[in-house]
Amino acid sequence: MSRAARIPNLGGAKAFVLHRPHTTVQAITRQLSAIGLEAVECWPHLPAEALAADFVFFDADLGFDEQFPWKPGEAPMPLVALIGSEAPGRIEWALSHNADAQLLKPVGTAGVYSALLIARQSFEARKRLAGEIAALRQRVGERQTIVRAVAALSKGSGDDRAYAQLRLLAMGWQISVEEAARRIVAMTEAEDGDDQSHRA
Amino acid sequence: MKRRIEIGVLYSRSGSYQLISDACRAGAARAIADINADRQHDIELVPVERDPQSNADRYATLCEDIFRTSSARHVIGCVTSWSRKETIPVLEKAGGMLWYACPYEGFEANEHVVYMHACPNQHLVPLMAHVAPRFGANGFLLGSNYIWGWEMNRVARDLIADAGGKVLGERYLRIGETDVSRLIDEIRVTRPNFILNNLIGTSSYAFLAAYRELGQEDAAFKPDACPVISCNLTEGELPAIGETGKGHLSAGPYFAPCPAAFASSFEASAYASVQVMADVLSGDPDAGPAEFSKAFAERRFATRLGPIAIDPNTQHATLPVLIGRIADGFFEVVSREEEVAPDPYLSRYDPAKTFGHPRLRVVS
Repeated sequence: MSRAARIPNLGGAKAFVLHRPHTTVQAITRQLSAIGLEAVECWPHLPAEALAADFVFFDADLGFDEQFPWKPGEAPMPLVALIGSEAPGRIEWALSHNADAQLLKPVGTAGVYSALLIARQSFEARKRLAGEIAALRQRVGERQTIVRAVAALSKGSGDDRAYAQLRLLAMGWQISVEEAARRIVAMTEAEDGDDQSHRA
Repeated sequence: MKRRIEIGVLYSRSGSYQLISDACRAGAARAIADINADRQHDIELVPVERDPQSNADRYATLCEDIFRTSSARHVIGCVTSWSRKETIPVLEKAGGMLWYACPYEGFEANEHVVYMHACPNQHLVPLMAHVAPRFGANGFLLGSNYIWGWEMNRVARDLIADAGGKVLGERYLRIGETDVSRLIDEIRVTRPNFILNNLIGTSSYAFLAAYRELGQEDAAFKPDACPVISCNLTEGELPAIGETGKGHLSAGPYFAPCPAAFASSFEASAYASVQVMADVLSGDPDAGPAEFSKAFAERRFATRLGPIAIDPNTQHATLPVLIGRIADGFFEVVSREEEVAPDPYLSRYDPAKTFGHPRLRVVS
């Protein structure tokens, strides 16, 4: 039975707030603890423990790449940009870090809860898509292998039948068509090698 | 000589949820009168009252009017979440505080609001934990068409799934609507184990009356087989409900014993709100959100409801959780838990602890 994803329970999650000491940090920390998260303030660098954080809020106004223990755009958790100045260069920099949500400064008595939920959803959607793209890329990269496997199987019969046979083999071995193609190519190469050794 | 301190009172004197509003207003008025009569107290509270007439759009303008025309910075008022949310921007702008004496759907923790009645871990979660093992976990969800019903039913959907049940229907009525025939038809067909009633005022009374008739036709819909459960039903509405409410269940922080100090939890909570407010204001008549937050962190408050703690992080009160069954004009308490700390975002909610281990299903 499919059911709409429920609002996640954020109790016990850990959020790092990378911002110089400021009332904005107090406002965010207050909201985070009311929602049930543990908040850790830091400036000017994110400590290594931040790699295990569930969320990171970062200052888009005074931030710079070296603050983060990862390369721009490769944060392993959802990021929320804290934007004061809407200078295009600063927004561009926040975007280079793949901010999943933003909060405008000054931060008042609300906004953190929706930022957390939106950031988490966009981060997870991005991660899922990246995973799917990587899998598809790998399959596309195997095109040549499939052609070689079909050629190897089609000795004496047509390509259509060879391809159908490849799919049947993949089903029988319970692996993907690409993987089955790799096996067949490997087997064919081994056989050719044997032939050559006989000839030698 | 007592110092005079003006406080705002923002309750509707007419409209579809008037009984609740009247109960809150009565509690606030009684607390103000008691404090003013008390020689030990060095302050006199002067109510500055406005009547939004149950019109959600009037709360913000009338709250603004209180701040503009008086020295009041504290307002006790609002019944619906809709009106509370409308009022918040005005409170933020004026640095004022709202004392909210009604149960609500949770997922809010504004530093300009003190939440003095129950939130979901103090009403819906314990009520579902009581009902699911006794009646079954399949529910039919009802609500008036605004945020209370929508959000309560959203939480209920998750709780029902965690209890291993199914949501057999979810229906909303416009506030004030009394044609409930379609709801009754759907309940008759889907045969739930319980009905979660988030209808308010006249819609709720019409539903309970029609549901009693259904129970007379078919015993599967009698309260001992399929109860109507609520998180906002109190003694204040029993006269309007009459016989039709008998046997159904409600959760709240207080049900009136006999003889009773307060007629309902709304009255009790409004009374305690004014007591806590006056307690801090008598030491610092200009106290605002920051000073209250400090007081909440430092101490508990003696109130007529007993000692009350207010969580400084969320500004929600620690409250008892009672489940009451409607008897002849009163609630018979069937379960009681003392001092349940507030958890408005349900961040400490644990399905296994609430509903026990989920039943194992045979996989074939």
